[in-house]
Amino acid sequence: MNEDYLLNKRILLVDDEQELLDMVLSILTEYGFQNVKAAKNVKEAIEQAGKSRPELAILDVMLPDGNGFELMEQLKKGGSYPILFLTACGEDNDKFKGFGLGADDYIVKPFLPKELLFRVMAILRRSYKEENPLVCLHDSQIDFSRAEIIKNDEHIPLTAKEHNLLSALYRNAGRIVTIDALCEAVWGSNPFGYENSLMAHIRRIREKIEQNPSHPVSLVTVKGLGYKLIVEGK
Amino acid sequence: MKSIPKLIRRFVGIMMLSTILLIILNITFFAIVFVRNASTLSPWDMADNAAAALQLKDGGYSISDDLMTKLKEENTWAFLIDNDTRQVVWRTDNLPSNIPMQYTLSDIAKLTRGYIDGYPAFTGEAKNGLLVLGFPKDRFWKHTRASWDYNFIANLPKNTIIILAINIVLIFLIYVAVNSKLLRSIRPIINGIQNLSDGSPVCIKEKGVFSELAEKINKTSGILQMQAGQLRKKETARANWIAGVSHDIRTPLSMIMGYAGQLEDSKNLSEIERKKAAVIVKQSSRMKDLINGLNLATKLEYNMQPLKVKQENAISITRQVIVDFMNTNIDDKFLIEWKTADALSACYINADKDLLKRAISNLIQNSINHNENGCVIYVSVDDCNNTCKICIEDNGIGASDKQIDILNNTPHYLICDTSTTEQRHGLGLLIVKQIIKGHNGEILIGHSEYGGFKTVLIIPK
Repeated sequence: MNEDYLLNKRILLVDDEQELLDMVLSILTEYGFQNVKAAKNVKEAIEQAGKSRPELAILDVMLPDGNGFELMEQLKKGGSYPILFLTACGEDNDKFKGFGLGADDYIVKPFLPKELLFRVMAILRRSYKEENPLVCLHDSQIDFSRAEIIKNDEHIPLTAKEHNLLSALYRNAGRIVTIDALCEAVWGSNPFGYENSLMAHIRRIREKIEQNPSHPVSLVTVKGLGYKLIVEGK
Repeated sequence: MKSIPKLIRRFVGIMMLSTILLIILNITFFAIVFVRNASTLSPWDMADNAAAALQLKDGGYSISDDLMTKLKEENTWAFLIDNDTRQVVWRTDNLPSNIPMQYTLSDIAKLTRGYIDGYPAFTGEAKNGLLVLGFPKDRFWKHTRASWDYNFIANLPKNTIIILAINIVLIFLIYVAVNSKLLRSIRPIINGIQNLSDGSPVCIKEKGVFSELAEKINKTSGILQMQAGQLRKKETARANWIAGVSHDIRTPLSMIMGYAGQLEDSKNLSEIERKKAAVIVKQSSRMKDLINGLNLATKLEYNMQPLKVKQENAISITRQVIVDFMNTNIDDKFLIEWKTADALSACYINADKDLLKRAISNLIQNSINHNENGCVIYVSVDDCNNTCKICIEDNGIGASDKQIDILNNTPHYLICDTSTTEQRHGLGLLIVKQIIKGHNGEILIGHSEYGGFKTVLIIPK
């Protein structure tokens, strides 16, 4: 699936360390992000947010004229967009505070460029869906907006549970999603005891998306652990 | 305080035992005295013997020489009153001079019951008269008006037992009352000592018989509180120092990791240069893990990271850890196999989910770190009655018996006050041990049946 449209998103980067700011900037621009703006303190960040209307903000917690949590609250007043904290404050309390205030993710320094990029892309993918998002699989396509599968020019509808399952798998495309996480995605916060129902739903999804459901290539089982959705071109 | 009833029971037991022993002792003593007294001939028997021995021979009375000698040895004298004339018809030589020679009936009744002129007298029936035996004045005391109501005699055993029982009950009540008072005054002292052992501050009222002891306990509590406060302060300072250093090191390390990561993927660099960058990334990651580990280990050691315990499914947690490893694209040399029984879908335990994930993750990472040539890591969860067993093992190089013994029994240098230069094992295993200890669980380290290393985490449900 083409994710190039995500690289056009406007990103606001706030950190008081110039060297770190330069480095993150270079990581993002080298990956292909074209609209990244930087600020070194709360004041600059608010000015920059007013001017550039960011679609994602990456904030440090400790800033010279305030803290990232307060800055997030102010930025949220100006518009609704995802916030990612990138900070040296690794205490659980800091993380809970960040998530409690509505942060979308929290990365504790030090971090690897790949980790930062993976998390940024995951947030953007969650927050900004393509106009006509057709997800290409080996033998079919998923149209999440219409909740249907297109296979051999045939449109097969998805039930609500199948849609939820495929969404959870697609959000982690190429990665294993545990049986428990899938049950939780479909049946809520107390998902135990639904393993057999899950297997039945997976079987039905395979009948819809696979050419040969007995030998699946797009929705594969990882024995005892979970399932993985393999998306073409990803 | 469980020991108070035990103490009372012991007190009462000792009291009962001592009372019974006292009674037995008294009875024995009484019996000995009685038997000893009974062994010497009673004066009544002596009088009877003398009367029987008196013989009328040739118109005069006589007594055998042996008996006479015995009477003299006892300093005793005797005379015989004739039944018809009531006159003394025979007497021993040592009869005091003031003893009358003629007796009326009332005189005989008096002397039989009591004394003759102050001498205790005892009578025995002779053939024709009454033999009177007189003893020195200080030899016997006679009860001149002895008479017992028959009912009194009949009820004597019963009354004795009742009096004895009343005595025992009375002693018991007095004992309990006295001991209760003592225990009441001891109770604050006992509570104080118990609180001391719990580390709680103690303040006992300094009055009563134990006021001095109370004062000492209060003083000890003050000293302990002060020492505990100082220790806490030191521990907090140490943990804060580690937290501060690890915080300050994160930003520079981010830049090292970030730029090295970029260089590692740079197409403008040669293969050798990219490999060098990869080494920097790898070593920086190790430093990152070390900082995180050190921080967590310190917090767990000083109880600065309270456990957020909830009911969790151990299978779900373990599965998530394995999947996280698989999703991070670990080297193909390492395979993780899920060996939990298919039928087991849940094993509920009270656990801190994040910390338990960390413990399992550390063990899987250990298998990866210590098997450079790759290995298969087998992970299983088992539901055993009241515990949940999480087993992480591999078919790698394993460890010798000596190494396993060290891992099981030697404390990590971070929490050991001796030999800080010798590195026993990494922080990873220390953290696992601390986490499992926090869950009141147990950790078993040993050889795997697959040929490598095995760790079993046993967590109570």
